[in-house]
Amino acid sequence: MNPEYLFFLLIFPGLLFTAVLGLSVGWIDRKVSARFQFRVGPPFWQNFNDFFKLLGKETIIVKEGIHSLFLAAPFIAFATLAFIATLIGMALFFSRGFGGDLLVIMYLLMVYSVMIVMGGAATGNVYSSIGAGREIKLLLADELAFILVCLVPIIKSGYQVNLEQLLLVQAEQGVFIGSVSGFIAFVIGLLCIQAKMTLPPFHIPEAETEIVEGPFMEYSGPPLAFWKLNHFMMYVILPFLLILLFMGGFNFQGIGILWAILKYILIIVLIIIIKNTNPRVRIDTALNFFWKYATPLAFIALILAVLGV
Amino acid sequence: MDASLILIYLVAVPLGIAALNSLVPPLLQKVFTFFGLAYTIVLIYYLFLEPAASLSYMDLTLFTVDRLGLFVLAFIQLLSFIILIFSLHGLDKANEKKFLLLYPLTVAVCNGVIISENILLFIIFWGLSGLALYLFALLGQTADTPKTAKKTFIIIGGSDVFLIFGLVAMRFLQPGTNWSLFGLHITLNCELAWAAFISLLIAAFAKAGGFPLHTWVPDFSKDAPVESAAFLPASLDKLLGIYLLARMMTILFEINVTMHLVIVTLGALTVIFAVMMAMIQHNGRKLLGYHAVSQVGYMIIGIGSGCVLAFAGGLFHLVNHTIYKSNLFLALGSVEKQTGSNDLDELGGLGKKMPLTFIMAIIGAFSISGIPPFNGFFSKWMIYQGLLEMARDLTPAQQIWLLICLILAVFGSALTLASFLKFLHAIFLGKRPAKYNRIREAGINQWLATGLLSALCILFGLFALQIPLQKLIYPVLVESGYPIPEFLGTYNPLLVLGLVTIAFLVGIIVYLATKNVRYDENYLGGMPALEKYRITGTGFYNEIRNMRPLQQFYNAAEKKYFDIYDLGSRFTFSLSGLFQKGHPGQLQLYVLYILIGVLVFMMLIR
Repeated sequence: MNPEYLFFLLIFPGLLFTAVLGLSVGWIDRKVSARFQFRVGPPFWQNFNDFFKLLGKETIIVKEGIHSLFLAAPFIAFATLAFIATLIGMALFFSRGFGGDLLVIMYLLMVYSVMIVMGGAATGNVYSSIGAGREIKLLLADELAFILVCLVPIIKSGYQVNLEQLLLVQAEQGVFIGSVSGFIAFVIGLLCIQAKMTLPPFHIPEAETEIVEGPFMEYSGPPLAFWKLNHFMMYVILPFLLILLFMGGFNFQGIGILWAILKYILIIVLIIIIKNTNPRVRIDTALNFFWKYATPLAFIALILAVLGV
Repeated sequence: MDASLILIYLVAVPLGIAALNSLVPPLLQKVFTFFGLAYTIVLIYYLFLEPAASLSYMDLTLFTVDRLGLFVLAFIQLLSFIILIFSLHGLDKANEKKFLLLYPLTVAVCNGVIISENILLFIIFWGLSGLALYLFALLGQTADTPKTAKKTFIIIGGSDVFLIFGLVAMRFLQPGTNWSLFGLHITLNCELAWAAFISLLIAAFAKAGGFPLHTWVPDFSKDAPVESAAFLPASLDKLLGIYLLARMMTILFEINVTMHLVIVTLGALTVIFAVMMAMIQHNGRKLLGYHAVSQVGYMIIGIGSGCVLAFAGGLFHLVNHTIYKSNLFLALGSVEKQTGSNDLDELGGLGKKMPLTFIMAIIGAFSISGIPPFNGFFSKWMIYQGLLEMARDLTPAQQIWLLICLILAVFGSALTLASFLKFLHAIFLGKRPAKYNRIREAGINQWLATGLLSALCILFGLFALQIPLQKLIYPVLVESGYPIPEFLGTYNPLLVLGLVTIAFLVGIIVYLATKNVRYDENYLGGMPALEKYRITGTGFYNEIRNMRPLQQFYNAAEKKYFDIYDLGSRFTFSLSGLFQKGHPGQLQLYVLYILIGVLVFMMLIR
């Protein structure tokens, strides 16, 4: 393996970059959410403090559970996310392919949900099992729309699946969000990533007030710290994916830097607004919403994309 | 060794062992079968060294093996051998003798199907393989066994009629081929050609378990011995059915784009219909049976699409499926042999008691759901790319049609993942019922077999390009005159696994550096962890089961409205019921019948 791959994976644009940016953006989320509720909100370093403090706490392992699976799950999820971040980042920052295309990313993103289910259910806790069941259902709910959303850029680029080629086509022909089909797909995609990050109104698997964090209930100490970190890494990965698919990626020359930051902030702010203005929905409502409303809408976008609109 | 001799041995050796096995006790049966099947693997190795082997008698070519045949033969031997390892210990005592007699017999017949070039031999071997299936179905121990065996026999036997008709019709469409299967090449331009094409399609679908002729697979999986479920519907019958389909697509027929799209649609329907049924099953074997059907859909899509990349992907998916599905059946079989149950509602929390079986089941489940870097993902990835590549040259309406099929296929694999998370949860995760506290790990032969299959899952996933594709599948393409396909996207499984492992190690190092562990009981907010709070996982998808349009679909499916066998038998019985009503036993009525008959007769000959 090429040694520079290690730099890509571990420092930039992979693990370290994603983690730090994720935790920082997590602060924006917490701060803005606090302002929504007329609170002051935490200082900038709060997420970092939380992470390191959790690392120092003891890990409580359920005796009768499957210990290895329980402990491995958060780290496998973490490793997968770090790799996805590297894949997307390489295309965005270096315009290079890196061992995977859009189809690979679609499948790798499922690993995160799988690990939540396996890790949670390994304890034998009833709340974790309920949460695990909901996690899979939520995955099913948003996956159908998400597939359609991912297909729209593929079609618009003349059936390309490589990330760097998707960017290249957008650089030549203009960004996909500028077309009708691209815009509809982007909006649906935004809702899908809301569900993929299990943010309100789709925080059904965790549902603190009802099933006490569900799959994460028995987690504590460093494994919990990594679950939290994973969550914040999703704040980078999924918006970056949307930027890549619909907004033509980043351009770091001159005024482009400002645009790049604005694109990212726009998506984050939209996510935070949706998050703070909606109550939690039931799992069957979420299924209904995605299968009966979001999916047909995304399908219309797909038809428009085939017709070239 | 002489190549034509190898061909005879491939059928004769297992057949001879079957004959020997009818005389000796089970222990010797196992020894004979083990060494016999090991020998056939050696034979396959010799065949690989030969460019082409064939055997003629007078001026008839009886047996030929080309690259496609060799590819299928190799996996027939490999799978039979591994499943035999599983069967070495722990077979059902009552049926052990019969099972070990049938086992080499089935291998012989299946080898016969693949190497037959003569149409009549092909039909005979194909029919015998259906008979073997029926005999295996009879070995089951459940109450539904006779019904299932009958159903299997009627669907498979009935489809044989179509096979015979199709092949004979082709022979008449193209006379002068001297009953050689490989010499036929038909363009679909007349009614007879269409009839032949559809007949062969029916035969291939019934054997492989494609929609709507799939209904015997879940029932067979539930009622037959678990080894035979892994052996026949999961591996050998898939190989045979898809072999026929691949033959049809490469040499037998020339078909147009619309027909390709129709076949792809049938494949997509198979995927989605079967996986929706699998999700709501409460019986582990039936769940796997429905997945054995749904995975056929991907092969049908790949092979029927007419795109080289998807065709190669379809063939690759065929072998991947045989590997991971027999792995899953055998893993479930191990659990069943330890606990005595395959009911997902009863099992639970066995992951701690049967860790090796659990790991194998996870590998199988991840492979079938297409999680990178396991083998299932690579073949699905190839098929999807093939469809995308195909869509480029189509009209917008055809593109949308094809894309709908693609969406169903991709979503089908998310549903597969969901279904298998339920499967894993119900058997290995969650809270363990107290009665399973003394369960032990499966026997060494059992986890050795599942372990070998799991190793193949990983090997074929990581070295997909180097081993299965370049060594086995690309020669098939070259032989059929196709170009070697170029991938649309990029996927480097070794890099994915390598980098994910490195990132995983980083996480683990942080954990180990800060580790401070305490062991404790489950926390339920102060409530005791009673048995009644146990979640099995079978109810995970009740919301989907009860969703509006799906509810009606599921209710109809449970009343067997989509089961072609059940519909057929209902029709037959209603017809015979009609005739029964006409037989009240009154003499006057029969006299009337006779009179009417005579009248009709007289009018006819007037």
